[in-house]
Amino acid sequence: MGRAFWATMLALTVLVGYSFIQAVDLYSQASKSALEFPELARGMVPLEGILVPTLGALYLASTLLLPLIAIRAIARDKETGALKLLLQMPLTPALLVTIKVAAVAIAITALFLPALSFIPIWLYLGGHVHTPELLNLLAGHALYALDIVAIAFLAASLSDSLSTAAIFALAFTLAFWVLDFAATASGGFLHRLSFYSLTAALHQFEQGLFSLAAVLAMLLAALGLFALTATWLPTGFAVRKKLFVSSVIILLFSLAAFGLSRARVYIDVTENRRNSFNPADEAALRRMQSPLFVWIYLSPEDSRLKEMEANVLGKLRRTVPRLEVHYEDTTGHGLFSSVPDERYGLIIYQYEGKRGESRSNSPREILPLLHELSGTEVKPEKEPDYRGYPVVADAAGYGVWFYGILPVLVVLSWWRVWRIGTLSTNRDRRRYFDVYSTKF
Amino acid sequence: MNRNELLRVEGLSKSFSGFSALRHVSFDLRERDILGIIGPNGAGKTTLLECLLGLLPASSGLVLWKTHTLAAHTRKDVMFYLPQDIVPYGEQPAFRLMGLYREVYGLSCDREREVVARLKLQNVLNRRIGELSRGYRRRLLLALALLTPKPILLLDEPFDGLDPRQTVEVADLLREESASGRTIVLSIHQLADAARICSRYLLLVEGKVVGYGTMEELRTQAGVESTNLEAIFFALT
Repeated sequence: MGRAFWATMLALTVLVGYSFIQAVDLYSQASKSALEFPELARGMVPLEGILVPTLGALYLASTLLLPLIAIRAIARDKETGALKLLLQMPLTPALLVTIKVAAVAIAITALFLPALSFIPIWLYLGGHVHTPELLNLLAGHALYALDIVAIAFLAASLSDSLSTAAIFALAFTLAFWVLDFAATASGGFLHRLSFYSLTAALHQFEQGLFSLAAVLAMLLAALGLFALTATWLPTGFAVRKKLFVSSVIILLFSLAAFGLSRARVYIDVTENRRNSFNPADEAALRRMQSPLFVWIYLSPEDSRLKEMEANVLGKLRRTVPRLEVHYEDTTGHGLFSSVPDERYGLIIYQYEGKRGESRSNSPREILPLLHELSGTEVKPEKEPDYRGYPVVADAAGYGVWFYGILPVLVVLSWWRVWRIGTLSTNRDRRRYFDVYSTKF
Repeated sequence: MNRNELLRVEGLSKSFSGFSALRHVSFDLRERDILGIIGPNGAGKTTLLECLLGLLPASSGLVLWKTHTLAAHTRKDVMFYLPQDIVPYGEQPAFRLMGLYREVYGLSCDREREVVARLKLQNVLNRRIGELSRGYRRRLLLALALLTPKPILLLDEPFDGLDPRQTVEVADLLREESASGRTIVLSIHQLADAARICSRYLLLVEGKVVGYGTMEELRTQAGVESTNLEAIFFALT
């Protein structure tokens, strides 16, 4: 394990600690009011308040630091000439890349471990963790990290130096941020494209949603990029041949991705079922076999559109078999625009020729409208009452763990691994001592 | 095909963006040969070795192994190439790299011990590769080459970084390897070193073969009386 790995782990312990302490502080402040008013307590969700913000540190590390670790696994071999030796070993390029992926996967797992030390502390403070939410979130971060590694590997296989590969990989990962930012400010193509960004995929896991399509797409993207890495890593093939093989790989994986994108398997893993309508509503929506058209007259930066996406559109996409959403051009209009438009804020629904209009972004108003359009009567089922988990606690004292003990442990591990012959419980040292009778 | 011929290279050429690094290079390798590829810096020696192994794609030409064509990706099955000036896994102790090769090729500890002893590496096995002197690093890499069970070894400037005593010892070692059945191809720019060890020579200048054969054959090609390789080389170039 190289220095980049240990430096990342060191940075991560501090980042996780800071994020966790800040998250607990904010959660506690909100919980004080919630303890007085049970209605407010329902909003005290550990997934949103603690898990996602704390593991945001992992997201940062995966985006900005992990590429450097992953690139090193290949670029260092190129720079030092080790690749020329590796390519002569009885391994296929695919197997070589697989071994390197496994090595980096072990490194990622090792990075996750100190990051997760906040969980026992949170439980000790009286907090609550819903295991499916946590596992789903960790799966999202693991897949995100895998894709970042895949991007970094390809960058390293295409570049001659570590620095060029780092610039290439970071440009690629940061492009997702730019895309997300651009999508919030402008609609149309960029908005649609942003659904396919890595951060958007991770966001689903952060929302407590397990989407089979997202999982398969992320896995497929990683596999495709690894296949491209295995194509470009060997030095003995002409560029023309590599371009041809790459085209075939891209074509095959694009076709597979298109097919898998139709996998409509979603599991709402949240305890408060925040990603689902009432089961009776969902059953009725699933029965809508004709296309449901939705026209939205809201600008991309309008917060009402974001609420509409989270509260209604996302859930409709997962339940209505044939949904077509049209984001109408609102350029020059909007809340703060000087050009008034009476249609701004309007959302139009059409099903089997029948039309309905609403300016609401609440499911309570929109669902009855949709049921009316489809001519169904729905009686909502009784659902278990989610009461929330307000916690008033002070995590500042645990800074000693995150800023003191954990970094010291990381440095000690670093030092121990750095020492020669201590990696494999001294077995190697003993064997060599016996064989060569030299002092170690 | 000559008797005992292992490998034949026919018309190997390599261009980099219009620059011809190798021009129709042809030669053969026989069992227990020590072929020296001799030439000044930039003659194309390293390019020839890398194209021969398949680490670089050749623009044209054939490599035949006992009468049948060897595809680029299968050449590593019969050859091992030791590049010049590499520092692989500098942060790792030397014994780990040796151990990796022993395990990958399924060799015995005895074989590893023998190679380590022959190259006098006992005292540096626990040191990091990046911290080894150039001479020790070269010997460590030679040890890897000797560990690989390939019939042909391609060694790029194997005496670089070695002092005169070490050069003699390594030359003796390579001769022993050759006598025990291996075929060795050396790229050398020091003519004295080449004359000390090689059984045949391939003289390369600007990617072109200007002389090829035993010392006697080279003398005939050059039309000189001298048995000095330097004199023959200058006469041919």
